[in-house]
Amino acid sequence: MNMHKIISGSFFILAMTVNFGFFYGEPTVLEQHSSYELFAAIIVNLIATVLKLGDRTQLGAVLLATSIVADIQLIASATVWAFAMYVIGDVNIEAATAIVSLSGGALLANIVSVILFVGDTLKSKR
Amino acid sequence: MNEQIVWIVLKRLRTPFLVIIITFAISILGLVLIQGTDNNGNPYQMTFFDAFYFVTYMASTIGFGEAPYTFNYEQRMWVSFSIYFTVIGWFYGIGAIVSLIQDEALKKALNRNSFRNHVRNINKPFYIILGYNGITKSIIDRLNGHNYRLVVLDKDEEKIDELILENFYPNVPGFVGDATNQKMLKIAGIHQKNCAGVISLFEDDMVNSKIATISKLLNKKIDIIVKATSKAQLEHFKSMDLKHVKNPFDIISKRIYYGITAPYIWLLEMWMYGHILKLKKRDQFPLGKYIIYGKGRMGKAIQEGLQKAGIEYVIEDFDSQRYIEEKNTTIFGDDDDIQRLLELGVKESACIIAATQNDLLNLTILNKAKQLNPKIFTMARENTLDDLNIFQASKINKIYIVEKILADATYSYIARPLADLFIQEARKKDDEWARIIVHMLNNITGMNPMYFETVLNDANAYALTLRLEKGENISLADLRRSRADRNEMLHVVFLLLKRGNEIYLMPDARMNLQIGDELLIVSDEENYSDFEYIVNNIYELEYVLGYTTS
Repeated sequence: MNMHKIISGSFFILAMTVNFGFFYGEPTVLEQHSSYELFAAIIVNLIATVLKLGDRTQLGAVLLATSIVADIQLIASATVWAFAMYVIGDVNIEAATAIVSLSGGALLANIVSVILFVGDTLKSKR
Repeated sequence: MNEQIVWIVLKRLRTPFLVIIITFAISILGLVLIQGTDNNGNPYQMTFFDAFYFVTYMASTIGFGEAPYTFNYEQRMWVSFSIYFTVIGWFYGIGAIVSLIQDEALKKALNRNSFRNHVRNINKPFYIILGYNGITKSIIDRLNGHNYRLVVLDKDEEKIDELILENFYPNVPGFVGDATNQKMLKIAGIHQKNCAGVISLFEDDMVNSKIATISKLLNKKIDIIVKATSKAQLEHFKSMDLKHVKNPFDIISKRIYYGITAPYIWLLEMWMYGHILKLKKRDQFPLGKYIIYGKGRMGKAIQEGLQKAGIEYVIEDFDSQRYIEEKNTTIFGDDDDIQRLLELGVKESACIIAATQNDLLNLTILNKAKQLNPKIFTMARENTLDDLNIFQASKINKIYIVEKILADATYSYIARPLADLFIQEARKKDDEWARIIVHMLNNITGMNPMYFETVLNDANAYALTLRLEKGENISLADLRRSRADRNEMLHVVFLLLKRGNEIYLMPDARMNLQIGDELLIVSDEENYSDFEYIVNNIYELEYVLGYTTS
C-alpha cells in the first residue's frame, strides 16, 4: 500500500471518467453537456498533471506528456466555449461540436495515460 | 539545462501547484453556484468565465471591483472567504518558489551546470589544474590565454571563491570538488577532445598517485603532470608510463650538482627560467666544505647533489619543529647553537645551506653563520612566498623556493617544450660545450637574449612553407640573412631543431628545412620580428634567398 499511489491513481482515473462524463451525449446539442462537468474535468486534469510532476522514470515522463495534452485540449475546449458565447455571441452547432470534440481528444489522451498506468502496475511484481 | 535541475524544480513545485489549483477551483465553483442580482434586480447565474475572470484578479490581489454586476450579500460573503483562501494559496506558492531558489541542492546543481557549460565551450586546448594555491596560481598567471586555457578543481570552497575573485582573463572556470573523484574529473572535461592534460601538484604523494591512476584510466591520450617527492613514488609513476613527473627536490639536487661541476650548463638552464645569460661571481657555487642544516626532503636532495659532485659536506639533523618546542623561539643563535656551528666547522667551510621548514630559522641560521665567517656562501630554502622581501633584503646568495621551482618547471614544460628539451639535451654535454654556447650567444645576441619557439607551418611561416612545398632546398643559413642587406647576418641563433622525434642540438647551418620543423630561436625582439617577416612574406623571402626581383 502506497498512499501516494492511491491518491495519484484515483486522480488519473477520475480525470478520465469526468472527461468522459462531459464528452458523453449528442455532440451537436450543447445542452447535453454540462459546463460543471467541463470545469470539474479541467480541475481534476490539472491536479493529475501536478501529481505526475517530478517522476524521473521514463514512464513518468510519458504520463506527464499525456496529461499535458489533455490539459491543453480541455482548456482549448473551455476557451472555445467562452469565445463563442461572449465574442461571437452565439453558440452554434459548429462551436458546440468543436467544444465536445476537443474534450473527446482530451479523453483519448486520458485513456492512453490510464492504460500506461495500469500496464505499469501489472508489470510491477509488488 | 541539466535534466537534474528540471526534476528538482518540478518535484518541489508539486505541492504549491496543487494548493493554487484547489483554492482557485473552490472559489470559482462557489461563485458560479451562488445566485447574483443584476442592475435591474433580476437574478442571474455567473458563468464559469465570469467567475474565472473575477477570481483571477481577486486572488492575485489586484482588485478591480465587482463584475459583471455589483455583488449581493451572499456573493460578498463567499468572496470574503475566497480572498483569504486564495491569498493563502498564492503566498504559499510564492514562498515555496523563493525557498526553492535558495535551496542548496539546487544551487549546487546550477553551479555544476554552469561550470560544465563553461568547460564545454572552451575551444582551445586546456589543462585541468587540481588544487588552487600559490603554485597553480602562478602557472595560471603565465599560461592562461596564451596557448592554453585552464580549468580548476579544488575541494575547498574558499579557494574557489578566491579564484573567482582573481578575475582572470580569459575566465578560468573553477568548481568545488574532490579531485580524486572520477565524476568531478569528468565534469571538468577530462574526456573532451581538447583536454591537453591534468596538473596535479599536491603536497601528498598518495593523492597525486591516485589522481594519476584515475586520469590515466579515464583518458589515455592526455598529459598527466604530477609531483612526486620520493624515490618510490617516482618509480611507481615511471612504471605507470608517466613522462612528466615533477620532483622539485630532484630539480634542486640537479641544479646544485650542475652549479658546482658545470656552471655553464647551470647558467643555460637558469637563463631558460629568466636569469640573465652571464655568470656573475656571486652566482658561482664555491668549492670547499658544505654545511647543510635540516635533514628533510630538501636536505637529502642537496646531499645527493653534493655527493654526486664529489664535494665534502656535513649534514646536521635539525628539526625546526623540535627546535621551536625545546627553545620556545624561532631565533637561532644562542650559545649552544654557536658552539654547534663551530663544531660543524663553520669557520673553514665554503658554504652553508639552511633547508629547514621554518623561514625565520633559516634566516637566523645563515645570519649567525655569516657573523662567524663573513666569507661564507649562503643558501636558503624559502617556504612561504609572502616573506620574499625579507629574504631579498638579507643578502642571501641563493634562495630556493620549492613552490616557484615547481611552477617554473611545469610552466616551461607546457608552454616552452623546446626549451625544456634543450635543458635536457644540454645536460648530456660537458661544461666546455656550454661555455662556448654561452659565449657565442653573448656575442651574437647580447647579454640578455630572449628565446622563441616556432613551428614551420602555414600559420607561422607562410612564405617559407610555400617554397618548401615546391620542393626547394632552403637551409638554416639562408634564413639568417638580414632583410635590409642580404650580405649581412641577422642576429639570431638556432639553438635546437626538432623534426618528429629527432632532436638536433645546435643544428648545422647547412641543414635543409622541412615543413613541420620546430625551432628554438635565440634573438632579441627586433631581430626575431625580422625573422618572422622573412618566413611569412613572399618578397622578403625571395630577396633573402637571392632571387633577383627587379
